[in-house]
Amino acid sequence: MNRVLDVARVQAVNWRGIVAWPLGILAFTLVINVAIFGAIGDAAPPEGRVTGALSSIYIVMFVAHLQTITQVFPFALGLSVTRRAFFAGTALVVVAQALFFGLVLLLLEWVERTTGGWGVGVRYFGLPFLIQENPLTQWLVYVVPFLAVSAIGVFMGVVFKRWGQAGMYVLTMTAGVLAAGFAIVVTWQRSWPSVGSFFTGQSTFALLAGYPLVIALVLGGVGWFTIRRATP
Amino acid sequence: MNVVRMSGVTKRYGQVTALDGVSMELAENRIHGLLGRNGAGKTTVMQILTGQAFETSGGVEVFGEHPYENAGVLGRICFIKESQRYPDFFKVKHALRAAELLYPHWDAGFAAELVADFALPADRNIRKLSRGMLSAVGVIIGLASRAPLTFFDEPYLGLDAVARQLFYDRLLADYAEHPRTVVLSTHLIDEVSDLIEHVVLIDKGRILIDEDAEALRTRAVTVTGPVASVESFVAGRTVLHREQLGGFLRVTVSGVPDRPSVGGLEFEAVSLQQLVVRTTQMNGLHNGQPVAAGTGNGGNR
Repeated sequence: MNRVLDVARVQAVNWRGIVAWPLGILAFTLVINVAIFGAIGDAAPPEGRVTGALSSIYIVMFVAHLQTITQVFPFALGLSVTRRAFFAGTALVVVAQALFFGLVLLLLEWVERTTGGWGVGVRYFGLPFLIQENPLTQWLVYVVPFLAVSAIGVFMGVVFKRWGQAGMYVLTMTAGVLAAGFAIVVTWQRSWPSVGSFFTGQSTFALLAGYPLVIALVLGGVGWFTIRRATP
Repeated sequence: MNVVRMSGVTKRYGQVTALDGVSMELAENRIHGLLGRNGAGKTTVMQILTGQAFETSGGVEVFGEHPYENAGVLGRICFIKESQRYPDFFKVKHALRAAELLYPHWDAGFAAELVADFALPADRNIRKLSRGMLSAVGVIIGLASRAPLTFFDEPYLGLDAVARQLFYDRLLADYAEHPRTVVLSTHLIDEVSDLIEHVVLIDKGRILIDEDAEALRTRAVTVTGPVASVESFVAGRTVLHREQLGGFLRVTVSGVPDRPSVGGLEFEAVSLQQLVVRTTQMNGLHNGQPVAAGTGNGGNR
């Protein structure tokens, strides 16, 4: 356990990279969006003053944790860390980041509401489909997607480290074939309406926190076993 | 006491056999030289001993246990390799801080001294370091970690002669004060021949020499003289190398405990580097590949 904490601290050695950088990107895209909606003024109707730029911080987390495996993993293994300790330390960092960033988003969503959308009526954090009834579920709706995108990044990194470029090709092609196969079967069975009703039948909480948690846990579990034979 | 024990270790990558029944033991608190040509299997040996690569078969013990995913064993090992990767977003100070967090015997004062010695810019991004500076980072981590078992895999790439001497001097001085087991893999054999106490020579995945450096130094001799006298002297001995110039013959033989005072013959000591080169070339011969200029096999002559 001690070693796991050491690994987490090693990853946090450059705290700017794991805290300040994602928040910096977030602030940057926020300012840009507020400036744009301020500039275009009334050209955009109130219901159209919504932006998807919040995804930027999630993309940053995905890339950051892809790099955790491709760059920090070989470094840490060189410094005699076990793969298990490294993976557990990474999980710890991811969870801590997700909880913290979730809290920041929750706070900023409140600021957004009280300032009337940063004074220009823009919805950057409080996207209509994200809004939950109580702060706890709202927090989780922000937190869990962080876990999912980080787990995807870590998993792709682990596949790359274990099977190299060939592994990445197989992974992306498998994912492509599965998606295409799904689409073909659904089209052939004329089941798109039931697919649609499945999604509309789910609560947004399930879609944003429930299923992403399953993705994070499954990929985390598979990654745990895959990294055990990965080489730096 | 032996810190490392390998018995009959074989490692295959697909069709390629990187290690072929390697058996060796490394004693505690000594400086071992792991020598051999590029692709001989040196790095593979160290990767297996540090649990980074997996042996196909054979027994591996480090501090009495298998190193793979063994926190108790790995915590006592530092492995600095030429191709060590550092995270792109790290500065030099971050890499050193990370090592400090992971090594219980880390000496921050010593590390700071070394940073000054190597004139390393602690605030510079790792990506922007020259090749030599990058090597210096590894050397500093390897020395200041004071790990009971430290591997240096060609740690000197890009370091100039002065910096390399600095590394050797600091290693020797710190080793004297804090005895530990060091495994030094290098091509610059002449530079480290005074440093290493035990030599392991590996070629094509097999161990050719596993002996004390002191014993090795007296093991081989080069004899020069008239063809007939030299021929009669070397008859029945293992000839490592021969070259003839007119009526004079110059032969390197092993297994000559003392130098007989035979008239007309001149004896010279064989440097460790010469011995390693000749022994490796002999191994090439045994494998049916003649060693001659131009075959590419004698390129390290």
